[in-house]
Amino acid sequence: MPVLEINAISKSYGKIRALDNVSFNIPKGSVFGLLGPNGSGKTTLLSIVLDVLQANSGVYKWFGESPTYLHRKKIGSLLETPNLYHYLTAVQNLRITQTISGRGNEGDIHAVLEKVNLHERKNSRFSTYSLGMKQRLAIAAALLGDPAVLVLDEPTNGLDPVGIAEIRGLIRELATKGHTVIMASHLLDEVEKVCDHVAILKRGQLIACGAVEEVLSAEDCLLLSAADQLLLTEKMGGYPGLVRMNATAEGLECYFAKGASSAEKVNQYCFEQGMVLSQIWAKKKRLEEKFFELTSE
Amino acid sequence: MISTILKTEWLKLKNYRAFWLLLAVTAISYPGINGIAYYAFMDSIDAKTQSGQLVKMLLGNPFAFPQSFHTTAYLSSFFTFIPAIVVIMLITNEYMFKTHRQNIIDGWKKNTFIWGKFISVLLITLIVTLFYLVVASIIGTIATPDVDRAKILEKAHYIGLFSLQVFCQLSIAFLLGLLIRKAFIAYGIFIFYSFILENMLSGLFRLKSKKWGIDYGHYLPFEISDRLIPLPPFIGKFNEADNKLAIAAIDSHVVYTLALTAFVWLLSFYIFKKRDL
Repeated sequence: MPVLEINAISKSYGKIRALDNVSFNIPKGSVFGLLGPNGSGKTTLLSIVLDVLQANSGVYKWFGESPTYLHRKKIGSLLETPNLYHYLTAVQNLRITQTISGRGNEGDIHAVLEKVNLHERKNSRFSTYSLGMKQRLAIAAALLGDPAVLVLDEPTNGLDPVGIAEIRGLIRELATKGHTVIMASHLLDEVEKVCDHVAILKRGQLIACGAVEEVLSAEDCLLLSAADQLLLTEKMGGYPGLVRMNATAEGLECYFAKGASSAEKVNQYCFEQGMVLSQIWAKKKRLEEKFFELTSE
Repeated sequence: MISTILKTEWLKLKNYRAFWLLLAVTAISYPGINGIAYYAFMDSIDAKTQSGQLVKMLLGNPFAFPQSFHTTAYLSSFFTFIPAIVVIMLITNEYMFKTHRQNIIDGWKKNTFIWGKFISVLLITLIVTLFYLVVASIIGTIATPDVDRAKILEKAHYIGLFSLQVFCQLSIAFLLGLLIRKAFIAYGIFIFYSFILENMLSGLFRLKSKKWGIDYGHYLPFEISDRLIPLPPFIGKFNEADNKLAIAAIDSHVVYTLALTAFVWLLSFYIFKKRDL
């Protein structure tokens, strides 16, 4: 059973359609990356499933049930910015989180502050924190009571490189413990490193969704080089199953429908065409590349 | 559930210095205004002049029991704007820090959030009423040479009227904060409306009342509950006919005030439930 089922959700702000009929499921135990450029609807979608925004149409279910406040108590969430009381200390803020959600106890408050390296400043007021420290405290609030599901909207915002690596480690640790992490991020490198599933939004529409490997490798890509690149381009143009080509400084990128070709077959084909390849490399597409490909005009 | 709401609201307030500071200002303002009025009155009747003796003869002592409850309630009600600022601050802070969203995200129902504020406003009303009660009791004790225990509580119903007035006006302040969301704009509108605009409208309606046969000014949002505590007799004597009518209308205004307060809170629940956070 998916942790979260999103079914045909749409949301408009006046004439602007922030979400357009978005549907997908988030499997239990997955680290799910929600990607999209600014204004693509990531935060709107997370706000809807956390009940701070109301969808114009569509439904969602948490744990296979119609959503209630009881489900939210079980979910640790950081939405958009750290939303905490500026005049209270870290401990005092987490006590409020604890009282409302019922997650954790006094001991857990200190444990999560240790986990995000804020324990030394636990009695300082939130207003005195740097942006990174505020973000750490918001993450601590989400982690309080070790919830089975975490919703983290841009969790590495404001963090330094060490902080980013720590959060990455933390998410991996949560994943190994079987937690479900739903994470919206701009940092594609981070998402690629920690997520096993991904959904990509563009102008409120879902344009890709699934396991990271599936989304990335909808096509096979081989990078070829030969002494005569022009001739290579001409000959490869006639290769059966070729989808498209792209000449780069590294060589000729040849894209094939998934499973339609292999390095061996291409090498043999080129040899039969009287060409000797100086390089043939099965290129794995990176998430960043795929993201730009999908989200560009 | 109520204990969780109370605990959460307490956690929000107990370390909030501005809240305690403004409550302290309220606590000082009540004995301040009543003390000044009391000593001014005592000075005037102590004077060995003819006018001083005339005042004493005509007015009696408005600060002595049981009149103390009425006079102190009337004078203290001028300072309801201070706890109103506290109430506006409580709700606009939530919007400023976006903690109203976080409270919902963490597992509160939207109704629970507003119940939390309802309880806070109720508690502030009780605290403010306690301040008034202490001041009324102390001034009454000082001003009454021979305390007749049987008579002390003759006008104790003003304790209830004062608390109802405060609760209604703080509820309006809350609704304003909920609607406006920005603290300083909400303070500005509250002060401008309650001190200036409503008085102007009230005056305008009074002028038109002879023509229309009814004074709609009595039904303006603050005036509805202001009329729970009419002018104390020592001032009311200067326009005895109007004052008698005002005293006779108290019961009706209790009903109007309760209805207005209920409407304000129902509207608050509705707005918070329907609005995107």
